[in-house]
Amino acid sequence: MTTYFIRRFLLIIPTFIGVTILVFTLTRLVPGGPIERMLNEAAMAGAEGTVSVSTDYGGQGGSTLSEEQMEVLRKYYGFDKPILVSYGHWLSRVIVLDLGTSTRYTEPVWDIIRSRLPISMFYGIATLILTYGVCIPLGIVKAIKHKTAFDNVSSALVFLGYAIPNYVVAIGLLTIFAANLEWFPLSGFVSENFDQLSPIGKAGDIFYHAALPLVAYVAGSFAFTTMLMKNSLMDNLAADYVRTAIAKGLDFRLAVFRHALRNSLIPIATSFGNNISLIITGSFLIEKIFNIDGFGLLGFESLVERDYPVVMGILVISSLLFVIGNILSDICVAIVDPRVKFGADGSNQ
Amino acid sequence: MLDPQTVKQWRRFRSIKRGYWSALVLFTLVALSMIAELLVNSRALVVSYEGDWYFPTYGRIIPGETFGLDYDYETNYRELQQKFKEDGSGNWVLMPLVPFNPFENDLRTDKFPPYAPSLETQHYLGTDSTGRDIVARLVYGFRIAMGFAAVLLVCSYAAGIIVGCAMGYWGGVFDLLFQRLIEIWNTIPFLYVIMIVASVVIPSFWTLVTVMVIFGWTTMTWNMRTSTYKEKAREYVNAARALGANNSRVIGIHILPNTISVIVTFIPFSIASGIASLTALDYLGFGLPPPTPSWGELLSQGTENLESVWIVSSVGIAIVAVLLMVTYIGEAIREAFDPKKFTYYE
Repeated sequence: MTTYFIRRFLLIIPTFIGVTILVFTLTRLVPGGPIERMLNEAAMAGAEGTVSVSTDYGGQGGSTLSEEQMEVLRKYYGFDKPILVSYGHWLSRVIVLDLGTSTRYTEPVWDIIRSRLPISMFYGIATLILTYGVCIPLGIVKAIKHKTAFDNVSSALVFLGYAIPNYVVAIGLLTIFAANLEWFPLSGFVSENFDQLSPIGKAGDIFYHAALPLVAYVAGSFAFTTMLMKNSLMDNLAADYVRTAIAKGLDFRLAVFRHALRNSLIPIATSFGNNISLIITGSFLIEKIFNIDGFGLLGFESLVERDYPVVMGILVISSLLFVIGNILSDICVAIVDPRVKFGADGSNQ
Repeated sequence: MLDPQTVKQWRRFRSIKRGYWSALVLFTLVALSMIAELLVNSRALVVSYEGDWYFPTYGRIIPGETFGLDYDYETNYRELQQKFKEDGSGNWVLMPLVPFNPFENDLRTDKFPPYAPSLETQHYLGTDSTGRDIVARLVYGFRIAMGFAAVLLVCSYAAGIIVGCAMGYWGGVFDLLFQRLIEIWNTIPFLYVIMIVASVVIPSFWTLVTVMVIFGWTTMTWNMRTSTYKEKAREYVNAARALGANNSRVIGIHILPNTISVIVTFIPFSIASGIASLTALDYLGFGLPPPTPSWGELLSQGTENLESVWIVSSVGIAIVAVLLMVTYIGEAIREAFDPKKFTYYE
């Protein structure tokens, strides 16, 4: 087991190198690279003929980098040096978390990311707690009460959450509860008078602002986790060992909680890592919709503002977090299922 | 002849009412969207002018002069209809159900858009913030989204099936290499990378498909790898090999047909995720360039003009309805291919 995890941790290194190569290739393509230059030329050629309107955000042409910004980027990414040399140079700086300087804030990228992470982490952790706190009990009840009215009604809800992407849920919630009913604020993380509130008021204020985004976050992973819990518990309830336990006179409740439940938590633990990636990657949509000043919105805004050092920094950090999330879920599996011997066969995925 | 297994699966699929009806409705909608020009268009279906009949829907534009108007650009058929009615000359114009195309800004002099839904102006779901008809945007956006999802599906499945089969069948170094590659690919946030690429190259339909295939081929590859790996270990493959079948025959004739259920079961979910990703990209402004009609763009307009509830609610309901139907179909297909009757404790 220990050797497996050591090996697993060592495997981060090639994965990380692979990811950085990919990210680095993107930087080669993106700022100051050949494509950007081509774009500049195209924009110049186009500007002579037609009047270009760039009221839209980023995406569609419009804003290009100033010469000054390009120079800084070129220097940072080492466009003046051979590819391998500049990659090595960049990697050695990334390892010590020197991700360059933001062209928008003129601050180190790492500092900016670090200041935004707590907000996203708050949502991430709250979502995790809520998801598991709701889904596991719900899955258990649904498994025990299979094919009853409760099961059918909750299945319809779960299904809805499964079919609709979480950003649509977020927009729906925003339209109904914030814009029309005005029960919740439209956006933001805290109120403007946050500093004057009492500690209880502060907590209340955060949750008042967090309610809708949290529902949207939970809706994303809610259906999957609930059905996973239900199905795996049902499989276990039908297994012989539960039958045996009950035949020996064990109370049904005890049979469920002491025997079946423990085994059916394994798939839930396996999917733990996926949740972490969901929280990181899926968040920029919800953060944009609710205007929450977190990691995701930072990524989105940097992209719109063409603040590429931040964009690349975010890619590196979120990839690293994802790899760690995967390992965490392996550790979770090992904790709930002592039989698991990783690395015995090649196909542990 | 259909093989009896397929017939059985089809019967099972039909017996799941929710999925079956969703499939019928969705296919009807897709078929209707194929001929959307006949239903939602600013061009008339039929114009009867001085005894001649014109069918302007498809083909080249007919200049206004043709109908005795004083301009040589495309005829405004709504005005023409009005004019003929007032003339009472026996000429007439038959307009489609919704007489607007998704690009025209139907502006009024007395008010700024967005305009609320109204039967009188024939904007049945209102207009967006630049005065374009929402029904038209929804219908053409639906066609583009479905087409996009379908093309994306074919491309990424082709890549996934080829690479996945090869990984599962040959294994070894090749498998290991691609396993690492997929792990790296899965590590980077999919949508974000696409946004980065889309922020550099102004995406057209095909560049967006290409980029999404480049970053999204891993799911199908992984599934195909697993199922090929499983099938390969079974005896019929050994038997075929012992009879002297070569690799391409074993894969093409024996293994692939047995993995077809995996492929088919994933199709609806891939379609749903294709629609969802395109809409998300369009919503964020990194999808197809404006003025392409798109649901994501409508969503973003809707959230920016929350007081004009008709925008966000019509597109929201459309998305929810389509994705629900696709998911119902997916569930029904999954049931049909793998009727997992739960043995449960009583």
